[in-house]
Amino acid sequence: MQVELQQLTKSFGDVLAVDGIDLEIKSGEFIALLGPSGCGKTTTLLMVAGIYRPTSGRILFGGRRVEQLHPRERGIGMVFQSYALYPHMTVEQNIGFPLEVQRGIDRAERSRRIQEASELVRVDELLSRRPAQLSGGQQQRVALARALAKRPEVLLLDEPLSNLDARLRHDMRGEIKRLQKDVGITSVFVTHDQQEALTMADRVAVINRGHLEAYDTPETLYDRPPNRFVAEFIGDPKMNFMPVEVERRNGSVGFRYADLGLDLEAPVGSTAPDSLPSNAWLGIRPEDLRIVPPDTGDMAGEIYIIEPSGREKLVDVQSGEQRFRVVAEPGFDGRIGDAVGLHLDRERMHLFDREKETRLL
Amino acid sequence: MTVREPMPSGGRFSVLGLAPYLVLGLVSLPLIILFGWLLYSSFFSRMEGLTPIGGFTLDNWRFLWNPNSVQQLAGRSIWVLTFNTFIFAISVALLVVLISSMAGYALSRLAFPGRRTFLSGVLILHSFPSVTLLIATFIVLRSIGLFDQLLGVILVKAAFEIPFGVWIMKGFFDTVPWELEMAALVDGAGRIRTWWRVMMPLVKPGILALGLLSFVTGWNEFLLPFIFMPSGSQETLSTLVRSILGEGRFVDYGLLTAVGLYYVAPILVLFVLAQDQLMRIYGGGVKG
Repeated sequence: MQVELQQLTKSFGDVLAVDGIDLEIKSGEFIALLGPSGCGKTTTLLMVAGIYRPTSGRILFGGRRVEQLHPRERGIGMVFQSYALYPHMTVEQNIGFPLEVQRGIDRAERSRRIQEASELVRVDELLSRRPAQLSGGQQQRVALARALAKRPEVLLLDEPLSNLDARLRHDMRGEIKRLQKDVGITSVFVTHDQQEALTMADRVAVINRGHLEAYDTPETLYDRPPNRFVAEFIGDPKMNFMPVEVERRNGSVGFRYADLGLDLEAPVGSTAPDSLPSNAWLGIRPEDLRIVPPDTGDMAGEIYIIEPSGREKLVDVQSGEQRFRVVAEPGFDGRIGDAVGLHLDRERMHLFDREKETRLL
Repeated sequence: MTVREPMPSGGRFSVLGLAPYLVLGLVSLPLIILFGWLLYSSFFSRMEGLTPIGGFTLDNWRFLWNPNSVQQLAGRSIWVLTFNTFIFAISVALLVVLISSMAGYALSRLAFPGRRTFLSGVLILHSFPSVTLLIATFIVLRSIGLFDQLLGVILVKAAFEIPFGVWIMKGFFDTVPWELEMAALVDGAGRIRTWWRVMMPLVKPGILALGLLSFVTGWNEFLLPFIFMPSGSQETLSTLVRSILGEGRFVDYGLLTAVGLYYVAPILVLFVLAQDQLMRIYGGGVKG
């Protein structure tokens, strides 16, 4: 089922929670609504579910307008953050509830579908238990089975992993992604965890203060973020930013940050605009910075702190007023206070407008 | 040097630990004497103050097997009156629970104009003494033909109890997470089914507590049956107690205490059996 949101808006009193969101989800696609808490992503999801009625705008399921329809007429399944399993019912009754309220499903068909859904998420051994007797991961699976039992056309997941411990969260990420592909159901999930969004979704919609900031594949969002918010929000550790003066030169662009002694030239492709503002934000990801011997590289600095994480070391380098986060190899043996140089990967720099914060290069 | 660990409370007898019991026991002595006297005097023919006169007797309990010996029963069996009282109490309880749980759900979950005003209005209604409404109630009952009938009194009593019930039930519904209801709606249930299949089972402690409490207040109700059923054709136990107490120039205290004990016994049993449920009414809440 293809899903489309057109100028979707929701206000609660004076507060504009969702502000004119346009989104198109292809049939069978798995998309993430990503944003900081309070950005309107859950509100958007609840409008798709039919719990909230939009203030204005349209929601289309396969070209049919549904924004005035009751949730039960929309053919959706939903997994809630708290799982929202019915505490007084057994697992079997929980999974069977959506089928029980649906007309035209007899007892035999119901138990067949309960069996099918519970096998799909591997809770078929737990059918006679109550939710309180299940672990978090098992509750999560039951919630998924309940959402899938009625064979919905659209699956909605509201922060499905945030109540699980870190390890389990990792496992469930992969499992949900695989399940979605196996069932081939159009799915929307909400998360505030950028890593979760990048690893699970086919496309990610980044939402900030009710606005859609970006909507693209994880790779594109990471490699060519369309604005500073997305650049900063996606990626861990965060991208470094510094104010630079820009100068268009022949076939290349020059960047200068006088305080740090930065003066470098980068080649630009044919897509670069002819005129650039003279002031901009230069962004560079921690893994695109390299620590080099002092007096070499593009900037000079001093090691502020080192955080080893096993696979690599995260190094903070203080340079003038600015602090840069750098990913260094595990073998890096610098110490706090050491003078170092920093090298910027010319191919991996991002340039954003100083005021509008949109991508320039 | 050895350090002595403080004894956990209740671990050892201590004189100081006994003090609260002594003080509380002393303060509640009048109540204990009251109940003791009630029990005691029902088995003796006469009491002088706190001392019984004459020997042990079951004569005061004769109303159980020989209704004709008690003129206030007017030839009716005590069982009929008990049955009336039971019907009265159980009907009040059922009505209060049914209406309060529906109204409480609506007030807890639905946004409709006037919701706040209605809520505070309900609270004011609850604090209205029913005595002040007696005349108006009388006129209403007369005009709809339910005066001097048990059904009429049931409706009036339930109406007086419902405001309290609505508040209690609203409180219980408030504790049920929204997400459960959203889940039910997404799963395809309508409002009524969500209420019945998902919400009601989750507020069961509230329903039990409110039901019990309403039953008890119904069982104990005296004023309404006394005033609105003057002919006594469907008399309840509370008015029987009153007629024993109030009609003659001399009062048969032995009979009075026996009937009184008979009257409160079911309530005492109920309280003992259902303590846990009743206590939850003010604790509020459901384990999710």
